[in-house]
Amino acid sequence: MAEKPLRIENAIIEDEKTYSSVLGVYHEDKSSLIPLEGLWYPRRDDIVIGIVEDARLNSYSVDLNSPYKGIIIAKFVETRLQRGDVIEAEVKEIDETKTVVLMRPKTLIGGKVMDIKPSKIPRVIGKANTMIQQIQDGTKSTVMVGMNGRIWAKGGNVALATEIILMIGEEAHTKGLTERVKTFLTSKQGV
Amino acid sequence: MGSSANKPELIVNGKRLDGRAFGELRPLKIVAGGLKNAAGSAYLEWGNNKVLAAVYGPKEALPKHTQDPEKAVVKCKYSMAPFSSLEEHNRSGPNRRAIEISKVTREVFEKVILLEDFPGSEIDIYIEVLQSDGGTRAAGITCAAVALAMSGIPMTDLPYATSVGKVGEHMILDLNKIEDNYSDADMPVAIGPRNGEILLLQMDGTLTKADIKEGFNLIYKAGETISKLQREALRAPYERIQEKYKN
Amino acid sequence: MLAKGIREEGRSIFNYRPIQIRHSLLPNAEGSAQVDIGNTKVLVGIKMDPATPMPDKPDEGNLMSMAELLPLASAEYEPGPPSPDSIELARVVDRGIRAAGAVDLSSLFIEEGKVWSLFIDIYVLNYDGNLFDASTLAAMAALQNTRMPGYEDGKAVREGSLGKLKLNNMVASCTYAKVGDKIVLDPNGGEEAIMDGRLTIANDENVIRAMQKGLPGSFTQKEIEELIDMTFEKSKELRGIISNSESD
Repeated sequence: MAEKPLRIENAIIEDEKTYSSVLGVYHEDKSSLIPLEGLWYPRRDDIVIGIVEDARLNSYSVDLNSPYKGIIIAKFVETRLQRGDVIEAEVKEIDETKTVVLMRPKTLIGGKVMDIKPSKIPRVIGKANTMIQQIQDGTKSTVMVGMNGRIWAKGGNVALATEIILMIGEEAHTKGLTERVKTFLTSKQGV
Repeated sequence: MGSSANKPELIVNGKRLDGRAFGELRPLKIVAGGLKNAAGSAYLEWGNNKVLAAVYGPKEALPKHTQDPEKAVVKCKYSMAPFSSLEEHNRSGPNRRAIEISKVTREVFEKVILLEDFPGSEIDIYIEVLQSDGGTRAAGITCAAVALAMSGIPMTDLPYATSVGKVGEHMILDLNKIEDNYSDADMPVAIGPRNGEILLLQMDGTLTKADIKEGFNLIYKAGETISKLQREALRAPYERIQEKYKN
Repeated sequence: MLAKGIREEGRSIFNYRPIQIRHSLLPNAEGSAQVDIGNTKVLVGIKMDPATPMPDKPDEGNLMSMAELLPLASAEYEPGPPSPDSIELARVVDRGIRAAGAVDLSSLFIEEGKVWSLFIDIYVLNYDGNLFDASTLAAMAALQNTRMPGYEDGKAVREGSLGKLKLNNMVASCTYAKVGDKIVLDPNGGEEAIMDGRLTIANDENVIRAMQKGLPGSFTQKEIEELIDMTFEKSKELRGIISNSESD
């Protein structure tokens, strides 16, 4: 594993060479770049967790913990949303002003919201959802993960779920993480 | 430039006052991270310079009239703490020198940050010189580059900076404060190491074209070291975490 | 158009627009001059006031340069405190003049504990690109016709002819704009609006006295060295223009 700060998302291609624009770990064997630090670039169909900032006549603006602002067109949703509502939604599209148009918002009642670096989200989800499943099983919490780095957890041992998620946020790039999470969960359950 | 009446000899027996060779850098130490609230931060010690840099954003650009609908705007504030120099207490507030340095520093990062990725937003770069001993703008740029890389803001390059100057017939690298005050010329330069392009260039004093050519040689050579230290600083926090679980 | 090496007014890429220098326009100032480069108009006034010297240079006068981008000079300029652009302009012009030792600072010594502070005030009257070169030219031209005030009872006495300010050197600057990978000398307002990078080089007859790169656009070492060569050639012409325009 070649570990070096490269710079690119995410990539700039110049003179037939590809350069990394963000700090990342480059796996030469798989020719893949795992960003260590990286911002969220909204993509169609991304699931996000947002907080409604403003309820206007025809639309709602949504804070996505990102320089990219979310917007929901009121006439396309049945539920009335209010300022402060936590929602899970899908990215419909990103318009020319780089505003993220969201659709199918679902209000999330109660629970706890936490923000981690978006580049760590894939690790929280895990391959074929294995990690998130492990967390939910181990804590009995319902956890919803937004690609924008925002996570919502409710029920069961939310404190433990939070602790694990933050731990993954810190150690996402290391080897053996899955085992450590498993061990940690087991120890906390007193099994 | 200092008064010629009390001008000290800056080169004695072929060595500089602090014992360095002409092309030698002062000791440089860089630590990435450290400030929890910032999106990215870094701390640097370069000779007796101590500099802290922090990056905030990208976030919505405010006031609204500073927004650019096509790309992020970079705001940069370089400042020297009132206790930073051996001289008397500095009055607070930006002085003209600090404003100019903030501007030329901003221009370095405007070149390398992928601004079009974040229209309507602002990226704030704060450079605080806690202790100064010559070459603070170069230290600030070298430190801020690391802070930006930590923030995840995409860049096309990781810039570094240093300075060269002239004493007698010799071009010397990385001037400390005394050398800066009494040298015949001072030329701070920032480089984008990927292509070697020059992102910042200032100079005043007396230099021939040959001097400038030699100055660049010294800078590019030293740049290999500075760039390496920046990248090592960026690796370190991740390696530390991996180390914890080695066994 | 730039791609073909042709600019507005049929100018070639390394030529200046027409330059006009007018001396001694402001009788209340110790010295003054206005320089027009094309439609860019910059007025410089020189004032001298008695002051205490800097502690490390007790027998030298002080030099201080300020620039104002007057709101009437461009739709882009607004009233208010000095902008980073105006601060940069003043400091770059100042560095060229200071590094060249153009003003004999020891001739500004009055008596123990008293020296002249010499103020170079750059007033931009109309913006159409290349404020750096116009300001440096205007400052040098103004310095050239600056008269020393008399000194009596701690005050400056400005009546009567008291001899000219002693100048030891002459400096001129050349400013280049980089547009894509093309470089042109003396950019006008339209060219500055599209330029990526800017480089100002101030020379005297033998050496480079100051340099300032502005804007994010980068330069290569090779480009800088070539522009230094060009500047030696061009600044000679500029210094000639200042000397020849001298009026008494």
